[in-house]
Amino acid sequence: MNQISIRFDRTWLTSFKHTIETGEHWSNWERFQLAFEAAEQQIIPQFDTLQCLKHLQTFQPLPHQIEVTRQVISEMHGRAILADEVGLGKTIEAGLILKEYLIRGLVHKVLILVPASLVLQWTRELNQKFQIPAMAQKKAWMWDSYDILVASMDTAKREPHRSEILKHQYDLLIVDEAHKLKNKRTKNWQFINQLDKKYCLLLTATPVQNEMEELYNLVTLLKPGQLGKQREFQNEFVAAKRKAKNEAQLRQEIQRVLIRNRRQDHDLPLTKRMVHTIPIELSPAERELYDGVTQFVQNQCRQGGTDPRSMLSLLVLQKEVCSSRDAVFHTLFKLFQKDGNPLSPEVASLIEKLRAVQYSSKVNQAVQLIKEIPEKLILFTEYRATQEMIIRQLEQEGIYAIPYRGGFSRNKKDWMMELFAKRAQVMVATEAGGEGINLQFCHHMINFDMPWNPMRVEQRIGRIHRLGQENDVFIYNFATIGTIEEHIIWLLHEKINLFESVIGELETILEKMDGDDSLEKRLLHLIACKKDDLAIREELNHWGERFRLLKEEVLADEQQSSNRSCAQLH
Amino acid sequence: MSNKVVTEVARNFIERYLYAYDCQIIESTPSYLHTQLSIPADRDLCNRPYYWMYVEQLNLPPQPIQLCLTFDPEHPPTDRPSEWIFPGSQRYQHFLQSAKRHGRFTSLFQNADENYRRQGSYPYQTWLGINFLVSYICEQKRDQIWELGINLQSGEIVESFYQQIKSLSWQTQLPPNRFTQPLKLKYIEALGELECYLEEKISLEDHDWAKQALTRLSEEQEQLQDYYPESQSNEEVLLEKKQRNLQLVRQYHPRIEVEVINGGFFHLDMLKYK
Repeated sequence: MNQISIRFDRTWLTSFKHTIETGEHWSNWERFQLAFEAAEQQIIPQFDTLQCLKHLQTFQPLPHQIEVTRQVISEMHGRAILADEVGLGKTIEAGLILKEYLIRGLVHKVLILVPASLVLQWTRELNQKFQIPAMAQKKAWMWDSYDILVASMDTAKREPHRSEILKHQYDLLIVDEAHKLKNKRTKNWQFINQLDKKYCLLLTATPVQNEMEELYNLVTLLKPGQLGKQREFQNEFVAAKRKAKNEAQLRQEIQRVLIRNRRQDHDLPLTKRMVHTIPIELSPAERELYDGVTQFVQNQCRQGGTDPRSMLSLLVLQKEVCSSRDAVFHTLFKLFQKDGNPLSPEVASLIEKLRAVQYSSKVNQAVQLIKEIPEKLILFTEYRATQEMIIRQLEQEGIYAIPYRGGFSRNKKDWMMELFAKRAQVMVATEAGGEGINLQFCHHMINFDMPWNPMRVEQRIGRIHRLGQENDVFIYNFATIGTIEEHIIWLLHEKINLFESVIGELETILEKMDGDDSLEKRLLHLIACKKDDLAIREELNHWGERFRLLKEEVLADEQQSSNRSCAQLH
Repeated sequence: MSNKVVTEVARNFIERYLYAYDCQIIESTPSYLHTQLSIPADRDLCNRPYYWMYVEQLNLPPQPIQLCLTFDPEHPPTDRPSEWIFPGSQRYQHFLQSAKRHGRFTSLFQNADENYRRQGSYPYQTWLGINFLVSYICEQKRDQIWELGINLQSGEIVESFYQQIKSLSWQTQLPPNRFTQPLKLKYIEALGELECYLEEKISLEDHDWAKQALTRLSEEQEQLQDYYPESQSNEEVLLEKKQRNLQLVRQYHPRIEVEVINGGFFHLDMLKYK
């Protein structure tokens, strides 16, 4: 073969010559041998055998993660969408691929773009698990001075950073949470498109169920033209916004750039989930307040008709009263402020009822439970007011608890994680703080109040019940007797079996359900219509049945399509 | 290779490095190794350039670091801090880099046998031995080592030269009563011969990998051509296309790069090596 070029490096010759002329710096036989053996240890003997595995000793990657690494490097040539389901270890896969390329000397300059809250976690994992000297980007000059940087997408796409980044040639670009790149018209998409990159990994857990055009845009970032031109794609593959045609062919095209592992396909070493529902009797004063708020919500619904915004705050109010007095107070206060009118007798009476509540039965229960469990525990609430109240109360009881929420700065989040890992017994987290943090070292969790959205519940559990958790996970659901909460927990726990096992297709099923109306709206409607317990139970039962049917449908679909794609591969 | 074997290779390498670079071994147990580094070793292994700048500028007595290296993470020493060494660890990689940096060039004489010494003067035959690292690069990579030697008297070239001389013993000084024969080839000419030889060998290899990479490259370039038709594109789009095309070339373009690991002059005892 003639056209292949061979380049001899001769930069060494100058120092060789110098050594010959001066007779200085000759190495002895032992040092000469060591140099040769060092080189021998570092060579890459084959194109396709992974080198990174023998370099890693602090943890053992799972078989599907190794397979993804091999596939991305050997078959996809370093440009791929990693789309494993949540919790299967996309970060590990990206780390393995990066490590392999670094060892092979094919990659030097690397940019890793992630949500701000995950910058330090990524940096830490790359350093500790993979011994990759990644730095968290903090200052503008760092784009130049460091080869492997982890940065927040929001920072990177803004000036002056944007222009700095666009000046560089990156050997590898990794984007986490890449579903934020689905729209061609966004700054995010255009920025990633402009970035000069050799290899590129896009990580997302939810690429397939979405709109066809979004999938097209994602693939275009990796390989423009892989799915044809936009119009051809529309004609050939799109039947409706969310519906594909020529599915088999489309799947084949997409499989060249996208890998998706699903939980059900792998025998993953996940520990068990032990679920306990803890019934809590409200104190008379709390009962008064609950009934009062429910009454208020019902009245308002009847008067206010269907104004969506006031519906929303009523929904919040009804949820908050299941959480704590403090949370209710906050929202009532805001409602009142907005009106500007003098306090209506109705609200005034609610405030009276608020005042009458002396303690929180739920917190008492939490304190008792935490004292019985001498181990780390994470407690989730949806409301910041509740969070603060819990921390205060735990403190009074001599329990070391720390808060965690989305609004914290990156440093503070990291500091809180560190404190929880090393010193505090309890972390009290709000929903927003829940995403992206990994707490495998903790295996007890209290759902102090219950989100009315099953996906959010699953995300909470996912913080501690994930690969790497070595213990069975204990989940305690607080259910106040005779409230809407009791029904919700019954639905999620007994009816759709949300807690015991991971429902991999949860998101898909819920999306299909939402066609009807979200669970949240449905619940509010039930309350507004003053349904009695029996009627509520019946409605929820109906919802649960539909969920069950759709679940079967989705599972059958997936089975079919995976059979089909297997057939194609053979 | 099992982890255990890999770790043994690492430990063996480090022990030999420490002896070769004048470090002192304070304690050695089956699970760990405690050492006082020499100054050059500290400079290479510990990555603290500012300390060394500071020591030099203020003319202070340097204090190289002591390292305690554990090879068995389950049984580290309990009375002092230690670090876990395995092939992928940064420190071990520093050991390898340091060894490569300082063992590049040599000029050695085969140990003279005492028995022959009395019988008068004998010549040495000089060889230039070079260890080449050949890297085959496209979007993937593979390396191969070539250990070539050339006789500077006859111009004869042998492969696996290093393997052949590895088991011999060597010294840095010309022993008494020995001499080297005048060379017919200058080392720079000899090097040219070796490169030429290697180039020919490489060109005779099967380069299916490169053909495949070129096919992939042209397939993707075609796809790009379809996606951005020349006729109806504005400047911005053309720029995008050009950039993407350069990325493709960077990713797939097959090439072979040859580096030198190390090399030097090996004076062979003609009485023994025939």
